[in-house]
Amino acid sequence: MSKQINVALIGNPNTGKTSVFNALTGLNQKVGNYPGITVEKKEGICKLPRGVKAHIIDLPGTYSLNASSLDENVVIELLLNKNGKDYPDVAIVVSDVENLKRNLLLFTQIKDLEIPTILVINMSDRMAYKGISLDIAHLERELKTKIALVSTRKNKGIEQIRELIIKHKELSVEPCLNSSTIDESYFDNLKKAFPNQLLYKLWLVITQDVNFGKTDRKNYEAVEDFKTKSKTDLKRLQQKETIKRYQFINETLKKGQTIDLKSAKDLRIKLDRILTHKVWGYLIFGLILLLMFQAIYDWSSVPMDFIDSSFASLSEWVKETLPEGAFTNLLAEGIISGLGGIVIFIPQIAFLFLFISILEESGYMSRVVFLMDRIMRRFGLSGKSVVPLISGTACAIPAIMATRNIESWKERLITILVTPFTTCSARLPVYLIIIALVIPEGRILGLSYQALTLMLLYLIGFGTAVGSAWILNKIMGLKSKSFFVVEMPNYKLPLFKNVVLTVLEKTKAFVFGAGKIILAISIVLWFLASYGPGDNFNNAESIITEKYASENLTKEELHQKIESQKLEHSYIGIAGHAIEPAIRPLGYDWKIGIAIVSSFAAREVFVGTLATIYSVGSDEEETIKNRMAGEVNPILGGPLFNFASGISLLLFYAFAMQCMSTLAIVKRETNSWKWPIYQLVIMSTFAYIVALVAYQVLI
Amino acid sequence: MNTIIQNTLAFSAVGLAVLFLAKKYVLPTKKKSNKACGGDDGCGCH
Ligand SMILES: Nc1nc2c(ncn2[C@@H]2O[C@H](COP(=O)(O)OP(=O)(O)OP(=O)(O)O)[C@@H](O)[C@H]2O)c(=O)[nH]1
Ligand SMILES: [Mg+2]
Repeated sequence: MSKQINVALIGNPNTGKTSVFNALTGLNQKVGNYPGITVEKKEGICKLPRGVKAHIIDLPGTYSLNASSLDENVVIELLLNKNGKDYPDVAIVVSDVENLKRNLLLFTQIKDLEIPTILVINMSDRMAYKGISLDIAHLERELKTKIALVSTRKNKGIEQIRELIIKHKELSVEPCLNSSTIDESYFDNLKKAFPNQLLYKLWLVITQDVNFGKTDRKNYEAVEDFKTKSKTDLKRLQQKETIKRYQFINETLKKGQTIDLKSAKDLRIKLDRILTHKVWGYLIFGLILLLMFQAIYDWSSVPMDFIDSSFASLSEWVKETLPEGAFTNLLAEGIISGLGGIVIFIPQIAFLFLFISILEESGYMSRVVFLMDRIMRRFGLSGKSVVPLISGTACAIPAIMATRNIESWKERLITILVTPFTTCSARLPVYLIIIALVIPEGRILGLSYQALTLMLLYLIGFGTAVGSAWILNKIMGLKSKSFFVVEMPNYKLPLFKNVVLTVLEKTKAFVFGAGKIILAISIVLWFLASYGPGDNFNNAESIITEKYASENLTKEELHQKIESQKLEHSYIGIAGHAIEPAIRPLGYDWKIGIAIVSSFAAREVFVGTLATIYSVGSDEEETIKNRMAGEVNPILGGPLFNFASGISLLLFYAFAMQCMSTLAIVKRETNSWKWPIYQLVIMSTFAYIVALVAYQVLI
Repeated sequence: MNTIIQNTLAFSAVGLAVLFLAKKYVLPTKKKSNKACGGDDGCGCH
């Protein structure tokens, strides 16, 4: 049997833990140049020579072992629970060469838990640029550890980490700081009360405010009784501990690290001054957004039209080539149209994620966080809510999970509740197709109206999120605001590989995740649209022939009338007509109504649904876009998708809570159905009202 | 004959689709292990 070594990757946020994890395991976990990317532990296997395997755990970043938020808890729980299955045989503390001093605080704490520890100093490629040099031998001696100088970017030093893991038994477990020196008499007492326990571990358990669900409580219950000191005294001692640690670290670095400021060519400070400027910062950000949306529009229109017409031809080809029958119809009208409704959006989704990942990787996203933080404060939220709101542009689900690093529960709840307002990538398909239909094509200053509309929708989403946060804040009376330090990572040239991987990964997730749902819904809808109960459906042919007997219609016209009679009286037609009264005032017909209802599964379903309904019974080869443009308003005449109904739809999708998966995550994170139900009801009602008003005003 | 095959294929596809949707949305979701992220949520989480 091969032996498995448990390895935990620990370190401050944004030091490159996940990059090291990926390098060791060959996996591709998400890496991003701002703190708080990893919020849950991730696991992987690293194969070492001689059949030895290392079980590697990537953990959320933490500044110290004095936890204040949920994701930091994950780390502490793991380290304190000696009997846990993931308890590390060896801890790898990943630090960033540019912030060594701050990083070492956590290192010394872990060392004092007497866990064999390897120190990885990452981002060594930045040393020359920053004028940093290290005396590794000295540092190893003082810190009583083995050091690997690594650059995951240049793929340097990974081999050394592997070797150190194999030889982890040789690592010293001698602590860095003698915990007794924090307060001699107190620790003496502690030692007497619990002779068999590690002092520093006891100290950590005593001083944590948080509850360690999984840690072996029994052992510590007695410790609770021992709390001879008041909370404030403990806090004071904790501060003393931190100071002692920094004294030790400063002493160590004095000899171990030299920074030659003259050789550091720091562009960063100058750039930061502009990019986070009170006026310029926002202007530049706005400009970047504009360019981004314009590019998404310009670059994706050609591939989008190509995909649209290819699917139309494919559907036509299937109909002509395969023998006639139900399955052929299902393929041509249900499956291919439905799939077309999703594949058509691959270009835009890919471009959107291309830009997002470039912004993240370059370090600019952290500046955006800083800019947003300034706005958020006005609305009573701390900057910690910004990261979830910004990552909500991809998807609300990871965004809601990212709220775990907000300490204050109320603030976290508010953030969870408002995050679904930010424009997620699932709204993009709906926005794009409707904008293409109802917003004219002209340009102003080189920017198309369509791109501007898209940007406006993103701003509306973000604005609503912030605005409703402000309202919730007033209602709930938020008192404690989370302490937020915006970490300003260095600017980096985005790594081509990381960008491409993110784009591929996200696009794949979009196609296969949403694709499965869309496909299934399309199939069901096809059935509901192709079959129906009663005479009106089954005898459609004779009813229509009779009705128009005197009118001398061509065969084709007659056929069309029959098909439309069938559709109106199919199951879906009946259901659609039932909900029609509710949506008619918004300017929609029953087909859009069905698309809206099926969008409650996931918003992307909208286009696929319409594509399926429109293509059932239609013989012409036609693209989705043209079919939508050709729809006629059954009551008023004129195009169904006009400016008024289009804007109304856009606003409805901007505000309505149409995502089952998000509701499920909110339930999981808040531990009750109350909040997701509030979200569903309030957001959707609000959406309805806004859409109604918009249509009635514009019509 | 042909019709029978066509109908069987079509209706089994519809059945499968209904089953898939029911499993995803209607039936009580079985508890997923807490590792990784939101799981198969169609959103690509990281
Ligand atoms: N220059 C340079 N950049 C690196 C190196 N390793 C990682 N990075 C970058 O540092 C950033 C953070 O990397 P991650 O691996 O996400 O860091 P993390 O510690 O997992 O971050 P959290 O999960 O948010 O705590 C990314 O932009 C990486 O591309 C390196 O060796 N050199
Ligand atoms: Mg990480």
